[in-house]
Amino acid sequence: MAVRKIPIAHKATQRQQRMLGISSLLLLGISLYCADLDMKQIAAGMERLPAIGRQLAQLSFTNGGELLRELVTSIVVAFLSVILGVVAALFLAFLVAANTTPNRLFGRVLNAVFVIIRTIPTTIWVLLAVASMGFGPMAGVLGLMFPTVSYLIRTFASQIEEAGGETIEAIRSVGGTWWHVIAKGLLPTLLTAFMATTAFRFEISVAESVILGMVGAGGIGSLLQGYISYYQFADLSLGILMVFFTMFLLEMGTVQIRKRMGRQN
Amino acid sequence: MLKLTVIPGGAQARRKRRAKQWAAAAALLLLTVLSLVYIRFDAAEFILGIPTFLRFLFSDFLPPDPANLQGYIKPVADTFIYAVIATFCSSVLGVCLALLMARTTTPHPLVRTVLRGLISFLRNIPFLAWASLLVVIFGVGTTAGLIALIVFGCGFLARLYAESIEELDQDSMEALESCGATYGQRIKHAIIPQFLPAFYSWTLFMFEINIRASAVLGLVGAGGIGALIKQTMDLFQYGKTSMVIAIMVAMILLVELMTSRIRRRLI
Repeated sequence: MAVRKIPIAHKATQRQQRMLGISSLLLLGISLYCADLDMKQIAAGMERLPAIGRQLAQLSFTNGGELLRELVTSIVVAFLSVILGVVAALFLAFLVAANTTPNRLFGRVLNAVFVIIRTIPTTIWVLLAVASMGFGPMAGVLGLMFPTVSYLIRTFASQIEEAGGETIEAIRSVGGTWWHVIAKGLLPTLLTAFMATTAFRFEISVAESVILGMVGAGGIGSLLQGYISYYQFADLSLGILMVFFTMFLLEMGTVQIRKRMGRQN
Repeated sequence: MLKLTVIPGGAQARRKRRAKQWAAAAALLLLTVLSLVYIRFDAAEFILGIPTFLRFLFSDFLPPDPANLQGYIKPVADTFIYAVIATFCSSVLGVCLALLMARTTTPHPLVRTVLRGLISFLRNIPFLAWASLLVVIFGVGTTAGLIALIVFGCGFLARLYAESIEELDQDSMEALESCGATYGQRIKHAIIPQFLPAFYSWTLFMFEINIRASAVLGLVGAGGIGALIKQTMDLFQYGKTSMVIAIMVAMILLVELMTSRIRRRLI
């Protein structure tokens, strides 16, 4: 007796998934065909891998002090850019959010500008800042501020739009002005949410500012880049470990902050 | 909705809370001042630097120089091609790792702990540091960039996938287990159908990230459109740089539009 299966899958879904599978495989095929992957280069790299791994394993503490100093610089740059960014973003977010903007069109235009600013990667902002201000941590602060501010504005604005509604209506209906709505109604309600967002952004900013040294904005990244280009892998591995522990501790810290904020709410 | 905060304990507790808030604000201020001193922050120079920066931006960068547009086609195409390959490889590897890593599907708790530690290490080292190291190992060019994208992407995706798998409804898994289904059957019939929407969503997100990352990869010599940005900036051809940046922004926005379309269709 032949076993016959009863089809139970949803026809349309199945067809859609088959379409997706075929088209993505096709895309991959075309890409693989067009890409000029150099297998010899990969093989040569694989041969080099164990030697470099061995060098990385020889941890060296000779440059520990320098690394620590630059690591603190990186964190300070991120901290300052977030502090300055929050001040700017708090003001601008109320101008952008759809329910508190003084003028709809103005809000839209401002929002579009910040979308474009956000789309350009941080490293490019820092390159631009370095090109105009010269090397150093101040260029890092300036470069990091653009993505920080635009990120904070977007998140703050969506939080304002979510929380707004009734608060705004209530204050407006008793004759409160725009300033009243913001200072007495929205800011006290949203303060904890804003702080949680800021803590999260600080984590991202530190990750970015660690990188920024690689394009010339001071901080631990410039040391790491130097070690890589001079093949000082023993020093490099100490730097990488330090970055790892910093990021790990920071992640734990922000998770704690967010938990507490959540409990307070 | 506005929530009324009821402060328990009355005036004294309120005063205590106030004091705590003031202390936090003061600590923050102190920290800011210390930071400003630490990097020898010169407020005058910084504030004066902003107009200089804007002037530099508007007079040197704008307008974009549209010369030599054909030359940009290959890096843009390269960026797309490598993003597709990297997304594909890292999603396949990511699913395998995620199944081993998720609490509900891991073959052994020890495997889970070890993998989680490894991936956390992979993820917490900045992407550019990996890319730079891989450029030293594999030589300058797109190959190093592709490997960096895959290594970073598979760590990133494995974590997101594993979290999605852990959030899934456990009932179907249990039902199949009680029927005597094998591990493979359980994954195929209980996990995968439920997991697909999250899988599509995260994979599309990864594609977006890969497109963005390729802009940065070029800065450390790993090919893609970022290489053009670095080249033109090193030659002080800022008009060309702004053209490349404009192309990049258009590309990223286009990809975002596309992925959000596909996402809406699929989920």
